[in-house]
Amino acid sequence: MIQSIIKRDGRIVLYDQNKIAAAILKALEASGDGNAMDAARVANDVQRELEGKFSDQAPNIEAVQDAVEQQLMNHGFNAAAKAYILYRANRTRAREANTKLMKTIDEITNIDARISDMKRDNANIDGNTAMGSMLQIGAAGAKAYNEMYLLRPEHAKAYRDGDIHIHDFDFYSLTTTCCQTDIIKLFKDGFSTGHGFLREPQSIQSYAALAAIALQSNQNDQHGGQSIPNFDYGMGEGVAKTYKKAFARRLRDAVEDYLDLEDAEYTVSAVIADAEKTTGEVAKLCSSATYIAAVAEGLVKAFKIDKDTAEKLVKRASERAYKKTDRDTQQAMEGFVHNLNTMHSRAGAQTPFSSINYGTDTTPEGRMVIKNILLALDAGMGHGETCIFPIHIFKVKEGVNYNEGDPNYDLFRLSCQVSAKRLFPNYTFLDAPFNLQYYVPGRPETEVATMGCRTRVMGNVYDPTREIAYSRGNLSFTSINLPRLAIEAKGDEKVFYEKLQAMLELVAQQLLDRFEIQASKHIYNYPFLMGQGVWLDSDKLSVNDDLREVLKHGTLSIGFIGLAETLTALYGHHHGESEEMQEKGKAILGFMRKFCDDKSQELKMNFSLLGTPAEGLSGRFIRMDQKRYGKIPGITDREYYTNSFHIPVWYPISAYDKIRLEAPYHALCNAGHISYVELDGDTARNVEAFESVVRCMHDFGIGYGSINHPVDRDPVCGYVGIIGDVCPRCGRREGEEIPFERIEELRRKYPKMPAFQGIE
Amino acid sequence: MTIKSTNEKMGQGVGFERIRRITGYLVGTMDKWNDAKRAEERDRVKHSLNKNA
Repeated sequence: MIQSIIKRDGRIVLYDQNKIAAAILKALEASGDGNAMDAARVANDVQRELEGKFSDQAPNIEAVQDAVEQQLMNHGFNAAAKAYILYRANRTRAREANTKLMKTIDEITNIDARISDMKRDNANIDGNTAMGSMLQIGAAGAKAYNEMYLLRPEHAKAYRDGDIHIHDFDFYSLTTTCCQTDIIKLFKDGFSTGHGFLREPQSIQSYAALAAIALQSNQNDQHGGQSIPNFDYGMGEGVAKTYKKAFARRLRDAVEDYLDLEDAEYTVSAVIADAEKTTGEVAKLCSSATYIAAVAEGLVKAFKIDKDTAEKLVKRASERAYKKTDRDTQQAMEGFVHNLNTMHSRAGAQTPFSSINYGTDTTPEGRMVIKNILLALDAGMGHGETCIFPIHIFKVKEGVNYNEGDPNYDLFRLSCQVSAKRLFPNYTFLDAPFNLQYYVPGRPETEVATMGCRTRVMGNVYDPTREIAYSRGNLSFTSINLPRLAIEAKGDEKVFYEKLQAMLELVAQQLLDRFEIQASKHIYNYPFLMGQGVWLDSDKLSVNDDLREVLKHGTLSIGFIGLAETLTALYGHHHGESEEMQEKGKAILGFMRKFCDDKSQELKMNFSLLGTPAEGLSGRFIRMDQKRYGKIPGITDREYYTNSFHIPVWYPISAYDKIRLEAPYHALCNAGHISYVELDGDTARNVEAFESVVRCMHDFGIGYGSINHPVDRDPVCGYVGIIGDVCPRCGRREGEEIPFERIEELRRKYPKMPAFQGIE
Repeated sequence: MTIKSTNEKMGQGVGFERIRRITGYLVGTMDKWNDAKRAEERDRVKHSLNKNA
């Protein structure tokens, strides 16, 4: 006689046959298979089976459930048995998810981020802080829910098993990735952050402050990178306003000083207003001769002075206003960079993940912005530290800044100098054919711009009249474990392509499922992104509209990792090793790109191919594949898969060949791409050498590139540069102490040396 | 960070900061990197500017 049973947590409870009958009845009802009488009969046989097996011992809950399954089948209730098995499996999954979730939260709570790799998955979130931990706990909970309730079983399995990676999965039900914010449009007539209204800015300082706030506000509405595509054009308007005001003030001062007047403001303002009326122009960094003449003429009439004197006063006012504007711009740019490295987003766990694009505005105002933002980047933070944010992207264009004699060539050169010291700017190349096809001179929105790690949005199948960079972004992206498909194909190219085709279909469906969730949201879910008209056409929505149509301006991207390991698995070596492999590599990515293009045409939505950034993914896929296949030489024998289409980082190759071989993949990966060249410190500091690498990228048709070189800093003496074992300035080794006198001595020698941090 | 000074000396226990590009962006210092990216950074080789290297 069964008296009691053992529950999962070890507790012993009284055996209750009614409970068993009730569970059986539920299964019978779910399958429309039988009634309460049937349930009671099955329950009786369950008890008999248990007594046969356990006599008067207490069975555990699993054994009871096994017996139920068995007896349902014995009685011919096959559909009910199936329903019961499914129910059990689901419960098990839920239980395991709960246990896993609790374990994860336990790790977040108790383990130091320096030990926990999981807590360093995203290097920009400090997993040791209270808000950083809260964010990670929230993410873990959201992931568990999303996997259980929002994914189709086949997508959940592919994600769990590491066939695919669904990026930003914690935000699956919440928002989209990123956006290029057109600050000119946003600032016009002011905007609201969601916490308060800000008037249209009137000086370069407020332009810069509001630009930082705009990035911060949008970061609360999206999980990915926030970017300004027109930093020079946009901030240039602030420079113009500052100059106009400064000119009026300096002219008034000059007149008052020269004529010894107490207050000439009213009259000078009238002279300026008059000149503006007659010429249709305002005071600018480089005012036209007509405008200057009109102001001088006005002064002659208003103050009864001779023409020479009037012209001298205008000239002096112009020069002083220029200097003042330059100074203000410099301070504004320094403030902007400091803001973006210190201001909080996501409850203080992170700074906004920000990018700014510039380089092509050739007006004096735009040029002043570019020069000063580069100088601010060069100066670094308060103690000379390299700024982490924003990502600076210099747009390179022939006829604008690429060749000697181009109007902004001097700024391109300056950018090389700064990048050689600070790792930024990165370079985007508007002359690459796949970027040039969208470029229309005089329309900056057609200049390709980059955000976050590498995201690019230009083509627009949904609305071909809007093939622009502004006000658009990525909706979501999912990456394919390409090397695994190759390993599974066991060297058979045909099998590989069949598997790839199936995986592309699976990912496209999953992206569309996610789109359905995103499309059902409303303006009020994104008070800044949609409420302030940052996203394209969102200003045309009314409060009850869902976001479906406007979101179609965005992209759904299919990413990948490890082209190099894929080629090695299929053919024995990678694309750095032979031209034949280069062709094979192009064929694989060409196949994936064609899939995206076809899907785009079929659905009139923007599917695109992404060379995934893969910060966390570089280790995730390969760890799973090592467990499955062991360490296969050249494929799974390292701790990471090679990024996107890159030549492996460990493979010796010249910069020239690396650029030449990677360039064709930039054309294929229309959702985003980047190539790096690694230079040693001495080469990087040789500006000619540095520029030659950038030019090589341009000439081979690279879309987006940057040059890596070591940037070290000794916090004790403030030296920034390359540090081997010994600091070249103060001579100490890592962790060693040095005498105060030595520091004092160094400070005399390097007067620009930053102040030392918090010395006690 | 605070640098403690003792016995008229300073810098004991203070390491060097090493900033590297992690993907398209930078990260403060490398101690925040995950294990796989650290390994990748360790393996990176320099590229020469010689065409026939």
